[in-house]
Amino acid sequence: MKKTMIKGFALVAASVLGVTGLSLAPANASAANKTMVVQESNALSGLNTAVNGFNLLTNSDVLGPTGAGFTYYNNKAQLVRNTAFGTFKITKNDCGSTPSFGCFKVTYTVKKGLKYSDGTLITAQDLLLSHAISSSDYSIKAGLGDPSEGTAKFDSAGYGGAYDDHTRAESFDLSDDNFSVTVSYDAFQPDWQVFGPGPGAVHAMVGIAKGKKTFQTARTNATYKSLFEEAYYGSIATLPSQSDPDYEDELGARDDARALMKKIAAKWSTVWNITTVNSSTNPLLLISNGTFRLESCTSTGCTLVKNPNGNIGGAPKQTGNLEKMIFKFTAGTLDDTAVGQAIAAGTVDIYSGAATSSFWSVVNNASGVTAFKGNVLTYEHLDLRTGNSIFPMAPDNIKTIEGSTVNCDADYNGPFAGNSQQAKDLRKAFMLIVPRQTIANNYIGKVFDPAFSGNSPVLNSLFSLTTEGDYAKVTAGSSAYLTDLNKDQTTRVALALALVKKYYPSAAAGSDSFTVKLLTSSRPSRVANAGLMTTEAAKAGIKVEHYIRSTWSSELDCNFFDAAEFAWVKTGLSQTGTNPQYESDGGNNSAGWNDSTLDTLLGEFEKLQTATSLITTKINAEKRLWSNYYSLPMYQWPGASAWNSDLKNILPSPLAPNVTWNYWQIGY
Amino acid sequence: MLAYIGRRISIALLILFGSTYLTYNLAAYSGDPLAGIRESTDPKKEAIMAELSRFYQLDVPPPARYFLWIQKIFGIGTGQIDFGLTAKRLSVLDEISAAIPTTLRLVTVATFLAIILGITFGVLSAIRQYSRLDYTLTFLSFFLFSLPIFWVAVMLKEYLVIQFNTFLEDPTINIVSNLLISAVLAVVITGFVSGTRKRVLITWGATFAILMVVLQIASLISWFRQPSLGIFGVAILGISTSVGLTHVFAGLGNKKALYAGLAATGVGVAFYYPFGQIMNASGNYALFGGLALLMLSMSYFIGYFFTKIDKGPVIRSAMLSAFFVSFFVVVDKFMQAWAPYYTLTDGKPMQTDGAYNLTLETNDFWVLNLDLITHLALPTLALTLISFAGYLRYSRASLLEVLNMDYVRTARAKGMPEREVILRHAFRNSMLPLTTLVAFDIAGIVGGAIITERVFSWRGMGSLANEAIVNQDLNLLMATFAITAFLAVMATLVADLLYSVLDPRIRIRK
Repeated sequence: MKKTMIKGFALVAASVLGVTGLSLAPANASAANKTMVVQESNALSGLNTAVNGFNLLTNSDVLGPTGAGFTYYNNKAQLVRNTAFGTFKITKNDCGSTPSFGCFKVTYTVKKGLKYSDGTLITAQDLLLSHAISSSDYSIKAGLGDPSEGTAKFDSAGYGGAYDDHTRAESFDLSDDNFSVTVSYDAFQPDWQVFGPGPGAVHAMVGIAKGKKTFQTARTNATYKSLFEEAYYGSIATLPSQSDPDYEDELGARDDARALMKKIAAKWSTVWNITTVNSSTNPLLLISNGTFRLESCTSTGCTLVKNPNGNIGGAPKQTGNLEKMIFKFTAGTLDDTAVGQAIAAGTVDIYSGAATSSFWSVVNNASGVTAFKGNVLTYEHLDLRTGNSIFPMAPDNIKTIEGSTVNCDADYNGPFAGNSQQAKDLRKAFMLIVPRQTIANNYIGKVFDPAFSGNSPVLNSLFSLTTEGDYAKVTAGSSAYLTDLNKDQTTRVALALALVKKYYPSAAAGSDSFTVKLLTSSRPSRVANAGLMTTEAAKAGIKVEHYIRSTWSSELDCNFFDAAEFAWVKTGLSQTGTNPQYESDGGNNSAGWNDSTLDTLLGEFEKLQTATSLITTKINAEKRLWSNYYSLPMYQWPGASAWNSDLKNILPSPLAPNVTWNYWQIGY
Repeated sequence: MLAYIGRRISIALLILFGSTYLTYNLAAYSGDPLAGIRESTDPKKEAIMAELSRFYQLDVPPPARYFLWIQKIFGIGTGQIDFGLTAKRLSVLDEISAAIPTTLRLVTVATFLAIILGITFGVLSAIRQYSRLDYTLTFLSFFLFSLPIFWVAVMLKEYLVIQFNTFLEDPTINIVSNLLISAVLAVVITGFVSGTRKRVLITWGATFAILMVVLQIASLISWFRQPSLGIFGVAILGISTSVGLTHVFAGLGNKKALYAGLAATGVGVAFYYPFGQIMNASGNYALFGGLALLMLSMSYFIGYFFTKIDKGPVIRSAMLSAFFVSFFVVVDKFMQAWAPYYTLTDGKPMQTDGAYNLTLETNDFWVLNLDLITHLALPTLALTLISFAGYLRYSRASLLEVLNMDYVRTARAKGMPEREVILRHAFRNSMLPLTTLVAFDIAGIVGGAIITERVFSWRGMGSLANEAIVNQDLNLLMATFAITAFLAVMATLVADLLYSVLDPRIRIRK
């Protein structure tokens, strides 16, 4: 055996020696890197960012650098106007006390001379499509189906919301030179800046509807644009009375227009729903106006390359030297350790997502990697019920909770019901016992460093998140109302006990003077928080019954529960965005808050505001919320990003696209 | 026989119906597909919820919705088989047909490696029961078996990718590291040697010294950056493998077998340069397969014409030799592709995730395939390390049981060589119980490896199932489940049928 083994190794050694004669030239250093590999936490579901579907965030991330419009959000979540594309302004604001259609108008003007990647001129005709996919009134009047019944021919996720409610089919007026469009509303729109239309290459849309599979000539494209404009307006044309001699002709014209719009709608809803892009993909699908263009997509990633024609579509001027962007998709669900290691190994250049200790521990000490602590637009909070939910989820809301049958629609008469002094005091007592600081430390500080011993920021506002520019001013304005809530834990528990004693004189630690039914999901952090609350509440004589429900999100409206801890996920920032949570008839108000004073204060958000007056409005509403003890903000979820340290100008934003929003500045 | 299969299939269909019905309802009741949007403050929330409710048909309770699903699957009423859309509105069928090849690529290699290695080492372990080798293998297999795959994956990534890529920047091994590496590797290798303490110590010393020298030379010539075997390396490795294989399967006393093996090796070495010329950068799989077939058929005829009597062992020896020498030639080609690959990947040849490099810009056959290999290496290694222990223990136990049988004693008593006793009499019979295991594992391949695929970011069946569960994506979940369940049911049937073929004592009766 021994001999054989030695022989064996001798053979191996000799074979290695045998290769010494081979050339030993060192490998060439590679060309300067101008490619950025971005890890996405999901996979692409198609090339349409507005079609109904599950995950459009990845689609928007990938297609972001291929387009440009009137605005974008920066890393401070501020809406920035992109003057390279065009300008917009209010041209009529005369709604007064009796608003009528057309009392509020905004005019959008596309800069002249901008072109799509196929060389076709960008005009205001290209803005029309965005109305067709966002206005239910247009869809119905153009014979394209009723979105609320799910029969709309444009299978768009754009219907619904304030824009849809306050515009009409006829809202878009095209200027004579085709470079401006004026949008008419039937009331003042506080979020008018967010509602801007974006460009959609309508000549490509018509080409695709006509079955074209190659680029068309400039002349044909111009014809297609006019065809789209005619079809767009022709579909909603008012017909003369049947006795009119022109009736038949106009009916025929309208039918033709509608037929084309239907074809376009059918194509719009389906042909972009592809996840594979290669040289055989119809080039009309890939016409874009951004700095970059989509070159290829597979199930594992998409490659974007710089537009060969240069920056001609109205994107901000490129100052970085990036030439290629690759978006890498996650298979299944994201494994954050894997992403961290991929960044450390250099196969991924950048990733941004929710902070987890496993991700942070890998990237924080990796060489050549910049790790960044940020935030996501999600915040944890505790809602206390004051009355009946006005939006029961199901007609007969009978649920089995912990073995007993509960009628969720039965009137709420728990300890927090109504706005009597007692109810307010008991709500305050319950808010006081919540160890907000400990909770914030656990889910912010300790995520990044298990040995963290400082104080992480507690969220002190329901209207501004810590990542918003006005957070400091808003919280300073309402700070007097938070004095008790920000005292140390022992003092707060003592204050809470004193409040409980007012109504339950025998209250003491462990007396279980009244019971709070707390609803949470099974998320470990919430279960742990409920545990902390139970312990602290007991010290003030309050008993917490904790209900962990997998179906919690559909039970927020269940009048059986007194309190619920969950998170609100903000998908964007708008002036009126928080109103549905607190208005008496708000769609997200599931805790039965019914407060006409608050409604009046919230009404201010519906008016034209300057940055300064908006802060005052927020403070006033916040003061009302604090003094009635409806909802307790806890902390804003932390985010984490990490990137190849060679990359310059990376400015992670809490809004999507988190790290590529300023693609034109990024470079090596 | 046919009646038996028919009966089994109808039972299988019932099982499939029951299991899919149960899974569908459990999955549907386990969560709320609208949960994500309920937490959102999106101003268009209501419209989105209404649209999603329509899409998921939430107005139909799950026990009834199952029948809508099954109706579409069988195309009842429409005549069109329809697996539906995923939550992302993509065709379930497209997603699955893209995932199956990925999973097959990932899990097939690992499963077959695990089976081959597990059985080989299991047999060795059984033959040398209670030896140092047996203990080493037992320890290793239990050690690896008890490691969680997600942890192994993280460690492999850290040391075989991140640290290895850093090492490649300056591929020199300093003397202290070399001492350590050689010492540890020598301990592992010596574990396979049995005998007196003196013998073991000598083996360790010799192995240690050789490893030291080899690593030092490799370090000096930057071999890790520019690896290659060269024609001499291929020849030496080929000849030694050929001799070794002949020793195991035919015995060195069988000169015909030895010469046939060496001749086949010689042909392989002779093909070294022509192969490099034919299978250059613009080669393709068809050409590659053709050459492999040519080599194997040539070796078959070499074996066939080398002897007139007892052709079997001679042909086996020639073909195995040809296979391995070709393997070394191919390995050498891949090694030569390493340097350009290193440059193309910007000095980061080893990868932690994904099935291939998205940034690679080349059409070179060897570089592209090397890229696939560097991506496949880690997950395959992780899966193999963890799953081969099972086969090792099963085959060891099974062979030990057979070796104690009377007919093995008889075989030995009549003077049959030990090689024949083990390979011909004991080994074949010992493989019977493993049939079930192998049949199930092969059927399970398509089901994917949820954790491995996730950790290594492979978009296979496991990833799809994971995604479906997380997103409450019933159409996708049910499709992955139905396929996996169907294969599992079929595997039991195939295993039972195989039993009757392999073991004459078992007969299928009506």
